[in-house]
Amino acid sequence: MTTEVLPPLPLPNELTAAFWDGANQGQLVIQRCNACGHFQHAPEPICSNCLSFDLGYAAVSGKGSVYTFCIPTQAFHPWFEDKLPFVLAVVELDEQPGLKMITNIVETNPDDVKVGDRVEVTFTPLGEGFTLPVFRPAAQ
Amino acid sequence: MAKKNRVAIVGVGYSDVSRGSGLTLDKLTAQSSVAAMDDAGIKPTDIDGVVVHSFPHQFVSSTHTAAMLGIPDIAFYSGNVDGAAYSVAAMHAIAAIASGSAETVLTLRTVHKAGAAGGAAMLGPQRGIPGNMQFGMPYGSFTGSHWAGMYMQRHMAMYGSTEEDFGAFAIAQRKFAVANPTESFFHEELTMEDYLNSRYIAKPLHLLDCDYPVDSSSALIFTTEERARDMKQKPVFFDSWANGTTAEADFSLVRDMTHSSPWMAAKRMWSRTDLKPSDVHTAGLYDGFSFIAMQWLEALGFCGEGESGAFVRSGATSATGSLPTNTDGGACNVGRRHGANFFIEVTRQLRGTAGDRALPNKPQVGVVSNAVGGFAACALLTAE
Repeated sequence: MTTEVLPPLPLPNELTAAFWDGANQGQLVIQRCNACGHFQHAPEPICSNCLSFDLGYAAVSGKGSVYTFCIPTQAFHPWFEDKLPFVLAVVELDEQPGLKMITNIVETNPDDVKVGDRVEVTFTPLGEGFTLPVFRPAAQ
Repeated sequence: MAKKNRVAIVGVGYSDVSRGSGLTLDKLTAQSSVAAMDDAGIKPTDIDGVVVHSFPHQFVSSTHTAAMLGIPDIAFYSGNVDGAAYSVAAMHAIAAIASGSAETVLTLRTVHKAGAAGGAAMLGPQRGIPGNMQFGMPYGSFTGSHWAGMYMQRHMAMYGSTEEDFGAFAIAQRKFAVANPTESFFHEELTMEDYLNSRYIAKPLHLLDCDYPVDSSSALIFTTEERARDMKQKPVFFDSWANGTTAEADFSLVRDMTHSSPWMAAKRMWSRTDLKPSDVHTAGLYDGFSFIAMQWLEALGFCGEGESGAFVRSGATSATGSLPTNTDGGACNVGRRHGANFFIEVTRQLRGTAGDRALPNKPQVGVVSNAVGGFAACALLTAE
């Protein structure tokens, strides 16, 4: 009997659960301060902009630009062995300058990706009940 | 910087250094400490401070270190797992001595090869990734090479730099490594073809852009100017020093990848000194990945923004250039000492004890630097 390779799975906590629940609903959900509107990712217990502890979450448009990327050709975890090469990227979301997230760029040839490319969110099952927000080239 | 309360480097030492040495972290720590004490010509009872930096899962505490060495009572100690590697220990020791909290401080950076690259090995047996790593690992971001590839890509996109620019740095410092056979793990010069043919880890990052994981411990002993005059070696002084950070903790999410913490640290350091970049004769710039040293060249003002490739290609960082850099070969060649080797090698050059590697320009002023991204530090050292 072969051992199933599990993906690297999140361990959601009170701060991160909304992101993963949102992804399961097909939404990109980012922490947002209820006092000043500042977005934060990764979510934290306090707003770094105004120091409020009154934080919530908001679904964002899923639109953004590729800030940078690389193309891993070596797997550091068994889950990625059969997925090489893939695109690991940082996407800057339209909602706020500097609001960025680590992600993958999919539905494209890795060598076609460029810094500055416009992208839009899409969702892919990760396994074990999780969904991963990833990005694909924006429809022109 | 004020010329009173000057802090001097008076002893440097390394443990045995190898890949998979089988030596414990404790033993490596003890080896480098003894080597540094021998270099300084001092005994354990001459030491009244111990400061360490290490990865949290490879931690040997200051107080345990003092106990191993038979130091009966220390006036200052700190143990750090956060921040810019060896330089954190250096900064704490400088602060301790300059404030009068301690007089002679042993600083240490001990690291094991296994697990030092991060990755899945850092996870415990629990199912599920806790904390903020859960926003990176499911996408395949595990290790320094992943953000390093992204930092390189950003520089290439912003400035039109090419893989050949980064290759030029690897080639330049390998020349120094070849002249350092007792410490370097690599003994042949590199060609650009060698660099470009070395496999990608996270394109555009090549294997030859990466430092070489090893088991090592590095120790440096600092003391006051007055005590330094009584010790075995010519003292090397800290002229100025600075930390710098970005607002973001995750290296991948810093606001501006091509102007990350080295720019903050460099600006702060230059504001604290009368020295200028043109006064500097040699540099030890952190090369965990080659792009880091290149960012330091720009951040420290040795060349213009985006121009580090041209600077290196011009030969400026070679032994006969304007800024011989990483004259021991850098961590890519002598192994990951996580910052300490830059302080040690620049110290040797300023002392005039670099033997066959002694620079023809007889350096009197050096700059050292550590880390990139979320946190960094740099310092100016002088021979007098």
